[in-house]
This record gives sequence, C-alpha cells and structure tokens, in this order.
Amino acid sequence: MSCRVCFIRLALCCSSLAGCATYDQRLSEVRGTFYAGDVDHAAQAINKDLKHPKHDADVLKLERAIVDLSAGRPKEAEQSLREVRDRFDYLEHKSLGESALSMITDENRKSYAGEDYEKILIRSFLALSNLMSGGADAGAYSLQITDKQQQIINAGIDKEGHNPKLVYKQVALGPYIHGLIREQTHANYDDVARASAMVVSWQPDFVYGQQDLQRAQAGRHSAPGNGVLYVFTLVGRGPHKVETLEIPSTVALLIADRILSNNGTYSLPPTIAPIKVPKVAVPNNNVSHVRVNVDRRLVGSTATITDVGRMAVEQYEAIYPRVIATAVVRRIVKKGIIYGTKEVVGAKRNSFLNVALDVAGVAWEATEAADTRSWGLLPDKIQVLRIELPAGQHQISLAAAGTFGVGREDTQNVTIADGRNTYMLANFPDSQLVGKVLTSQP
Amino acid sequence: MNRRQLIRAGFVGLGALILNGCRGKQFAKVVQPGDPQMVGSHGAGSETFKPLVDQAVGSLLARNAAPPPQVTPASTSGPEAIARPPLRICFVAVENKSAEEIGDFKDQIYQIIDTRIVESHVFEPINKRFVDAGLIETRLRPDQLFVPANMRTFVGVMEKQGQPFDYLLYATLTSGTTRENQNYQRDYLLTMEMINVRTGQYDKQSATLTKGYHQSRVGRLLN
Repeated sequence: MSCRVCFIRLALCCSSLAGCATYDQRLSEVRGTFYAGDVDHAAQAINKDLKHPKHDADVLKLERAIVDLSAGRPKEAEQSLREVRDRFDYLEHKSLGESALSMITDENRKSYAGEDYEKILIRSFLALSNLMSGGADAGAYSLQITDKQQQIINAGIDKEGHNPKLVYKQVALGPYIHGLIREQTHANYDDVARASAMVVSWQPDFVYGQQDLQRAQAGRHSAPGNGVLYVFTLVGRGPHKVETLEIPSTVALLIADRILSNNGTYSLPPTIAPIKVPKVAVPNNNVSHVRVNVDRRLVGSTATITDVGRMAVEQYEAIYPRVIATAVVRRIVKKGIIYGTKEVVGAKRNSFLNVALDVAGVAWEATEAADTRSWGLLPDKIQVLRIELPAGQHQISLAAAGTFGVGREDTQNVTIADGRNTYMLANFPDSQLVGKVLTSQP
Repeated sequence: MNRRQLIRAGFVGLGALILNGCRGKQFAKVVQPGDPQMVGSHGAGSETFKPLVDQAVGSLLARNAAPPPQVTPASTSGPEAIARPPLRICFVAVENKSAEEIGDFKDQIYQIIDTRIVESHVFEPINKRFVDAGLIETRLRPDQLFVPANMRTFVGVMEKQGQPFDYLLYATLTSGTTRENQNYQRDYLLTMEMINVRTGQYDKQSATLTKGYHQSRVGRLLN
C-alpha cells in the first residue's frame, strides 16, 4: 500500500470526524423564540431537533422541560426532568470507549452527563414542577437536592486528596421547599427550623430568611382562617456555555511542538488551530425582582433564593482547569498519533508524506469544537415570596421590575385554603412574562 | 517487537478500547431478613433507628400492658374481671433534636411507632389524620400543647371530631457527640413521653444506641 493511500485514508478519517455547529449555535433559534414569548414554536423546534439528536437529546429534554413548565404543563416537565435525572446518574459511570473516542475527536462525541449545577437544578425543577401538580413527591425531590449536592462534593476528591468542589455554594432552594412542605403539616416545626437555618446559612442574602427562621422557631404556619401563597418566579436569562479560544495553552503547545519537531526524528503538526473550550456565560439580567399585587394592593416583591447564574459560573470555574487539561491532553494524543503514523509509514523530513501528514494533523485538530452542550433555557435567578392570605379567592397580579422600570401586569385568580399552601410559578426572562402563570390547587 | 510494531499495537489497542469500553451500570438487590444491612458511614440510618424504636416502644408497651383491674359488683357474690378499655392516645409528633438530618426517616419513624402501638392493643391511638386536622384547626404547635389552656383547646377540638383521648405521646430523638481526634462517637437517644391530659402526670421510656464514626478502617481498629 502506498504512502499516498495511507494519507488519503487518514485525511478522510479526519474529515469524517469534523465538528459541526456547536449546541449553543443550534439552540439560538429556540432561545430566540422562547424569549420572544412564543413557547409553542420553541417546543416545536425542540421536538424537531429531538427527532435527530446529535448526542444532545438529554439537554434538549431539559430545554423542553422549561418550555413545558412555562406553557403550563408541569406534569410533562416533571416527566422529562425525571428521565434526564436518571440518565445523568447512569452517565456518571465512565465509559472508557467514549473517553478514548473523545480523545481522537472532541468532547461532543461523549454522552453529556451534565454539569454539577445542572444535576442539582434538575432536582430543584422537579420539586417546583411537582409542587405545581399536586406536590406528592415535592418533599422527596427537595431532599434529593441537598443529597445530590453532598454526593457531588464528596465525589470531587482527586488522587492527591484535593477537592476543588469544596468551594461549591449549596443551593438553598432544597431546604426552603422542604421547610415549606413540613410547615404545612403544622406538626413538624423542628424540621422547618432546621431547614430555615440552612437557608439562612447557604443564602445569607435571601431577605426573607430571618423572618422565616423566627416563624419556624416560635411562630405558626398561619393564623386560623388563613392560608399561605408562595410565589416562585424564574427571572432573567440564565447561564449557557459558549465556545472560547484558550490562547495561552495554544501558544504554550505551539512552542512545545516546535521544540520537539526541531529535536525529534519526525516533526509534529504545528498547533495552528487554537484550542477551543467551553465557558459558562451569563447574559445581563434586566429583571431584579417581581412585584406581587393581591386584590390590586402591592404586598411585596420576590427575593432570590437561588442565584443560578452565579452558581453555574462559580462551579464551572472550580473545574475549569480540568477542562483545559483535557483539551490539551487531546491535542497531545492527536499529535502523538500523527507522530506514530509517520514512524510506521517512515515519513522522512521534507518528504511529501511528512508534509501531507502534518496538514492532515492540523486539519484534524481544527475539526475540534468546544462542547457547549448545557441547559440553555435556565433562568438567572429563582426567586420567591411568601404571603399569608385569608382563605378564599384572590386576584394575584405579577409584574417584573428592573432596569426597564415595571413591566406589564399578568393577573391570575387563586384559591387559598385554610391552613394550606398554594403555589404560583411564573417565568420572566425579561420584562414580560413568557408562557403563563402556573397555579397549584391547595 | 520493534518500535513500529509497538506503535501499530498501540493503534489497535486504542481502536479496541473505543469499540469495547462500555459503561458500568448501577444495580440493586432486595435485602432479605437476616442479610447484613448497610451501616450509615456519616450518620444514623436504619441500623440505628430500628433498634431504638423497637426498644423504646417495646418497653413502653410492656410497662403499660398491666392486667385488667379486679372489680366486685355489689349484686354478685364473687369477683369478676372486667376488661379495662384501652387508653386512647394521641401521638403528636416525632421531634428531631439530634445533630443530624434524618430526612425521610422521620415520617417512617412515626409510622413504625404508630403501627407498633396499634398492633399491641395496649393503647388505642388516634389516627394521624385526625391529629393533623386538630393541629390545623387550633393552629397550635406541638410544643405549645403543654400550656394548660392550649391543651384544653386541643382536647376540645379533638372531642368535637369524635376523637377524645387520655394521653399525649411525643417521640424525641436527641444525640450526644464525643470526639477523639478525627474519630467521633455519637449516642442516639429516642425518648417516648406520655402525658395524661387530665392529671398532667407523665410516663417516659428511652432507648439508646451508640455509634462510632471513623475516618478510616485503621482508625476503627485502633479505637
């Protein structure tokens, strides 16, 4: 077999592994229609992509869950979230085959197992979805939030005993939901006090934390004849991954391969194509809070219980060195394979074959795309307001407030039951509501 | 094997790894009675709660399972045993005052205790749903029931529901921790308190279990 045939085969092999548009680019249409308030078109676009998924079926299901939740379909959202939760748990077991394949292609070839913040948020949204549709499993989901956080942190320890995940901020939404469910029993105030103490400790800037704690320690759920309304809001556009160029590592690798090429028997393909890595980006959030009117009277504003954007950025920063290290190792493996091929076929310096293999190597490296798969329709913040109201029907109006002033009001009738909780959920990525306001039945 | 052969073998190995390297799967099995059970490495689990509940509830029931009183009616010549009706008991709550989260165990502890009491026929417990309804109607916290006025209110509401009772029952889980360098020992105490709503007299039964937590197996052997 001639060396030219070998080269053609290698070039064909490389081109077959070429990277396509990143997930972030593919999702831009869905994101655009969703934020414009067209939840039906967003759902259709996701369902279309789900018919031919490119290793991204799980994240697409997560996007669909947010769309379903905003469109008033909490049961469908819960179903999708449960599927992805179980799938991500399964994918936590490493596949050597996939890892090896990703070393000669890119991270997009691997099944996406979810970032740590996504695994926790899946459980958070499971709890919220379930609260909107009866709440039978919301308590279990809320416990899973805290449990999963602990599992992730415990599993983060490396062989040297370092654990970059120890800096992870705990999500206060889990104990918050656990507390509100236990408070509704009127018999487990010790659990409520514990949960409220956790909320205060994990999210010290949650403005209603202290009053919740005091009520749990010495107060009561509500006065006789009253019930409680919890207004949950998803505000702002949340984190998503974008492709970035890791220039310092690229330059370092270029210098290293030039030195090795000058001193070795064979040359290495030069690092011309920059190393691409994903980075978490959080768009500017224009919504600071949501104003809540009850029967045309302003009763308060929602406050942040979980800062999704900040959590995603902080958690990703903790593991970012590992992301870069993996990308650099992948380049070294590819260069090693080209070097080995030159050795096997005996490609001498200055020969056509040597040049051809270098070109193939550069092309191979250039096909890499950063793995930008991530849950792209998350909110920037999850906020909440607790209101005690007399039992009966009430008219609740929600309006986003922020840099734009106060947005349009959306009104919904709600029934409050004596001694019980009622829940509302609304999504305000910008000044206007997307989809509809969800209300549970007490 | 020369260097070229070694490289070829490496390429073949990489290909084989890509084709065959599969992912492990989570699995589960039913733990049969008598099989070794898991022991919580960082906190209490069923290995702690089950014996605590068995011991505390068993002792409480045994002490109260007294023979029926002998009553001699005036119209008859000899004594006649009349069965004492079971005492009606209102099991209010399990309170966790230990240093640990007990998560989903709390409701299970309540249900186990309640079931044991029902099965014993020593007491006649009030269904939890009536207890919850009473607490919702009065808006009293379980710890507020000890104030005489609150207790009277609660008893009145329960009687209105057709659920009068003689005793309030509380279960409280507490813990005490002793540290020794990296290792620590935790004593778990489950206390059952029974308060007579008419006289205020109370009965109490506790069960204790001690668990040692160690950083490593070596640490366990040294202690």
